[in-house]
Amino acid sequence: MENKEKFFTDFNNGLHRLGRVTLVAMVIILGTIPFVMSVYFNTPIDGAGFWAGFAKVIVVYFPVSVVEFLVYAPMLGVGGSYLSFITGNVTNMKIPVAMNAKDIAGTEVGTPEHEIISTISVATSAIVTTLVIVAGVILLVPLQPVLQNEALLPAFNNVVPALFGALGLKYFAKSPKIAVIPLLLISVLCIAVPSMISQTSILIIPSGGLALLIGFLLFKKGKI
Amino acid sequence: MNEYLSQVNSGFFYLIVALALTFMTVMCVIFLVKSYRAGVKLGMDKKVLKKTITSSATFTLLPSISILLGVVALSGSLGVPFSWLRLSVIGALQYELNVAEIAAQSLGLPGLKVDMMDTGKFVTVALVMTIGILGGIFISIFFLKKYLNKVRSKPKKENTSGKPGFGAHATTAMFVGLCAAYIGAYIGQAIPRAGSDIMPLLVAIIAAIVMAVFEYFIQKKGKLVLENFSLAASMLIAMAAAVLINMVL
Repeated sequence: MENKEKFFTDFNNGLHRLGRVTLVAMVIILGTIPFVMSVYFNTPIDGAGFWAGFAKVIVVYFPVSVVEFLVYAPMLGVGGSYLSFITGNVTNMKIPVAMNAKDIAGTEVGTPEHEIISTISVATSAIVTTLVIVAGVILLVPLQPVLQNEALLPAFNNVVPALFGALGLKYFAKSPKIAVIPLLLISVLCIAVPSMISQTSILIIPSGGLALLIGFLLFKKGKI
Repeated sequence: MNEYLSQVNSGFFYLIVALALTFMTVMCVIFLVKSYRAGVKLGMDKKVLKKTITSSATFTLLPSISILLGVVALSGSLGVPFSWLRLSVIGALQYELNVAEIAAQSLGLPGLKVDMMDTGKFVTVALVMTIGILGGIFISIFFLKKYLNKVRSKPKKENTSGKPGFGAHATTAMFVGLCAAYIGAYIGQAIPRAGSDIMPLLVAIIAAIVMAVFEYFIQKKGKLVLENFSLAASMLIAMAAAVLINMVL
């Protein structure tokens, strides 16, 4: 038993080392790609535009990253966490896959067996996803002239409204009590001050904050 | 054919993305092999380990197709190679599109409009999307070991109320706020006056209706398999509707 515990501790320490090294390598690779593109196109990155966009993104998404990390890491274990956070699609893919594998193998979260099963399931899932998307991308290449046809421009110009229409229905139906006030306020603001319409990147900050506050008050009152 | 799209779909980018994804796949294979061997050493049944691999592979197939549909949706604005990269590494469709929209607005555009994009704007949007999503990675690099050790050594607290904490609702509330901001802006944009545009609101409504139909079958009829496609399919149907609406308007 003691040997098993020691083996598992050593194994986990090895995964931490490997995970950190590969994550750092991946950060360097990913961070370099936009600069390579910039050189390839012979066009500079807009520094002011980058910082303005980055500041808004970090305000919204850094707290989400922290919450996801705190909630999901114990469910995924060491190897599963490193792989999930680098391969993405955590909520919609990696967590369900890891939980499905846990049920099939009959392991308990927090045990060495669960850590092994979780890592195997997440790694398999990431490899399969990559292969499926590679196959899809190969099929997409000959379709490029169709996808780039001017007639399809309205479709791709409205990809964001399509996303938020679908997501909005899902989230508003889940939490109508949280949704009503932010939706009304933002609508009234955009009707009264048309210049705000093109400033959704700023509007999401007060709207998100207000929704969080309303959610917290409803939670405290036991209404959600 | 749009010149910008031809440029962001160049063969060179396919090569770069393929190299980055090869590195990531090798990483997955190493983790898989190491864990499988450790499982065997710990005395786990090989049949269970193999079953985990096959069931995870089959379980992943349908959601992977959904991610592929996301690549199609994103490729019309950012090209196939970058969409392929973003939806294969760290990202998810909801994040990528929202961040691309934020980045485009920060560059002075009204939003992620293909006909207003050029390669200069593209590289800046690409950098915001890439750096903006690295939060979880940096947290993992610096805190994962400490956090998991702490969780493991801490005795499990009994939840006397039997109710999940606010953390479970916080992310949902955040996304409700996010959606409210966009839908509210589309409502404002649809009001008839100079510069108004009803298309984004119509597309959002169509996507919501299609999503409602999916939700009906998922929640009421128990067709859980549809959950894998509901978001991407709702979006693609609404986007197709945009082409038809454009012809009519």
